[in-house]
Amino acid sequence: MECDYCERRCRLGPDSFGYCKMYRQEGGRIVERFPDRWCAYGVSRVETIPFYHAWPGARCLVVGTSGCNFNCRYCANAEVVKVDPAGLADIMLDIAPEAMVAKARKHGCHAIVFAVNEPTVSLPTLARVAEAAKAAGIAMGCLTNGYGTPRSTALLGRIFSFVNVSLKGLASEFCVDYLSVPEAGPILRNIAALARVCHVEVTTPVIEGVNDQEMEAMADFLAGVRRDIPWHVFRLLPEYRMQQEHYPSIEALSAKVEAVKNRLDYVYFHNFIGSRWVNTHCPSCGAVAISRHSLGCGGDKLDTFFAAGGRCPSCNGPIALYGEHVAWNAKEATA
Amino acid sequence: MTLALLDARQWQQAVDLRSGRPSEAVSPLGGMVGDILARHPFPGDRDGGSNAWVTDTALDFVARYDPGFAFLAYAQQYYSSRYGALAPETRRKYVENAFAEAARFARESGMTTVLVGTGDLVPATTPIDLEDLDGLAVASNWCAHYAGLYDLSDRDRETLARHPHLERIVPRQEILDLFGGGPEDGGRLPDYMAVACRGGFFKGSSLRRLVMVPEPSAVIPVSQNLGPATSILDIRPRLLELLEAGNRVALALLEGVGCAEFQPPYTTCANGKDWFRYEPGDAQYLALSTGRHPIFEHNGGYRYYLDDGEHKPYPFSGYFKELPAGTIGEAYPGRSIAVGNRSMFMHVCTGCDVTCECFARNLYNQGLMSVIFRDDKMVR
Ligand code: SF4
Repeated sequence: MECDYCERRCRLGPDSFGYCKMYRQEGGRIVERFPDRWCAYGVSRVETIPFYHAWPGARCLVVGTSGCNFNCRYCANAEVVKVDPAGLADIMLDIAPEAMVAKARKHGCHAIVFAVNEPTVSLPTLARVAEAAKAAGIAMGCLTNGYGTPRSTALLGRIFSFVNVSLKGLASEFCVDYLSVPEAGPILRNIAALARVCHVEVTTPVIEGVNDQEMEAMADFLAGVRRDIPWHVFRLLPEYRMQQEHYPSIEALSAKVEAVKNRLDYVYFHNFIGSRWVNTHCPSCGAVAISRHSLGCGGDKLDTFFAAGGRCPSCNGPIALYGEHVAWNAKEATA
Repeated sequence: MTLALLDARQWQQAVDLRSGRPSEAVSPLGGMVGDILARHPFPGDRDGGSNAWVTDTALDFVARYDPGFAFLAYAQQYYSSRYGALAPETRRKYVENAFAEAARFARESGMTTVLVGTGDLVPATTPIDLEDLDGLAVASNWCAHYAGLYDLSDRDRETLARHPHLERIVPRQEILDLFGGGPEDGGRLPDYMAVACRGGFFKGSSLRRLVMVPEPSAVIPVSQNLGPATSILDIRPRLLELLEAGNRVALALLEGVGCAEFQPPYTTCANGKDWFRYEPGDAQYLALSTGRHPIFEHNGGYRYYLDDGEHKPYPFSGYFKELPAGTIGEAYPGRSIAVGNRSMFMHVCTGCDVTCECFARNLYNQGLMSVIFRDDKMVR
């Protein structure tokens, strides 16, 4: 039986679990191998994940399962994502959807964000959490590689109201060499599809000399979907199989970011400590609408929110925001 | 203003430590510090060259700043053992390397170097699941042994009392009584503190599989050149005595090393009080540096994220919203430096004039951070 959660479309059987090792076939249906099992959770700022234009300032319960449908050379979470999920059984947490939502409330969180591994490999569990979260008035967001099938992408768009899609590269050679998938076509298709139904931000880890020459084409593609899609250009942190490689030059990449930044309303350059490219500027007049600190991959942080009501503090022009500014301890009183 | 210099490899940015905002301010030490950071890129917490980085960088500071006191931390063996299944031989080599690097520093700097092992590691054998409570359990990635418990129900209390892998459940009042605190000191203590059994750790707080965790040790080893010390709190006054006597002194912490692996002749000192023992971490650093138990402010069970709002000062200092007072660097009037491959603690816990530490979060190597607290001693 073919799995149609992602474009790998693996053949699944009772004992064959697909590339991600997270699904199997049972009685003519595709079922999760590890429903309601989580690798970790923690409290985090929404900017850390990163979302810069969704619920600014919100406290989130960040959660993850295990397994992935990609094999990125630079995976930052290889120790949980690249191991056989069955081998993590003793340290995984068994948390039912309602209990996960209760946990978010107890921690005073405004949202639950799936941000460790790929949500496509745990969609049924996430759909159940979303149902419970909706009843409790808790928003759901995720990071995704965007490689779902049209059916599962539609489901993803119903589960999550804010999504950050990783557009890692365009060229097929890059996709094969660095991600272990044949092409970026499904990802581009899904960015456009998700942008029609939920808030979308996009992240691109840039590797000097490998995918930096595609930055203009990526910016043009995103602008064709929506000019106000926030684009996070990441300086790649060489991890996993790239650990011995050079850190990309911030000076060289920042020049490339400067060259493309007028193609979109909101372009950021970060994932390194002290970045100066993390503030939101008004697309109309250039005034700072939201200022942030860049703590690198340790997590960015809201400094000051000036864009009350989604308007520029200087010219009153619109600032694209999904959700309102949320005070960090706003949910404590009702937790 | 206190200037912090961030080095993300071939790129540096100065920020105001308190506000976190980029700064154009100039410090007389800024050029020297920037050059040192650029000369010593950090190889990574678990890299075989990580402890050599501490020695090389500290020696560079010694050559250019001529401190009378140096606070050093060697942690590669700790990180590698915590997350990697090391063969005993490999672990032995890593520990030997930490001692060798501290010895190299002592030799080349000429400073009397006092070594302190921060406690033994034991295999992480027993995952403890507190997810089924009606109340809230708060554990953190870097504190395996203690969890804070809040809003417990009667059912929770019963479950916890019978839990086979919890050594004890301690009410807030008992912690206050043990450490001599009044009601006003309990604000950052949990309702109860859960203490894991030896080899136990709380599930769900670490993304990576834990292989070894702090014991944590009842006593820790201190090299005999310090003189007598019966408690971790005695280390600071003994160091200050040595400094007052005109010695140039370094304190080198060897992380995750206890009496079982300590090499030079040593004495032992109590690593806490009664049932409470420090894990290698911020509270232990502060106990060493201030000579006081900081448990009311810094304990494994505080809901640290409550303080992390958008107006929290010191955004580059993790959950610290103020820099602790009464540190050893503050008490010593001469020049001082702190260098270590333990993020954050060097600038938060030591009070030295100039601090330098890796900027790694959860082992992700993002570069270095140096903080210049005092730049007025150079002109003497
Ligand atoms: S979700 Fe997993 S099993 Fe399904 S097609 Fe993708 S990789 Fe294969």
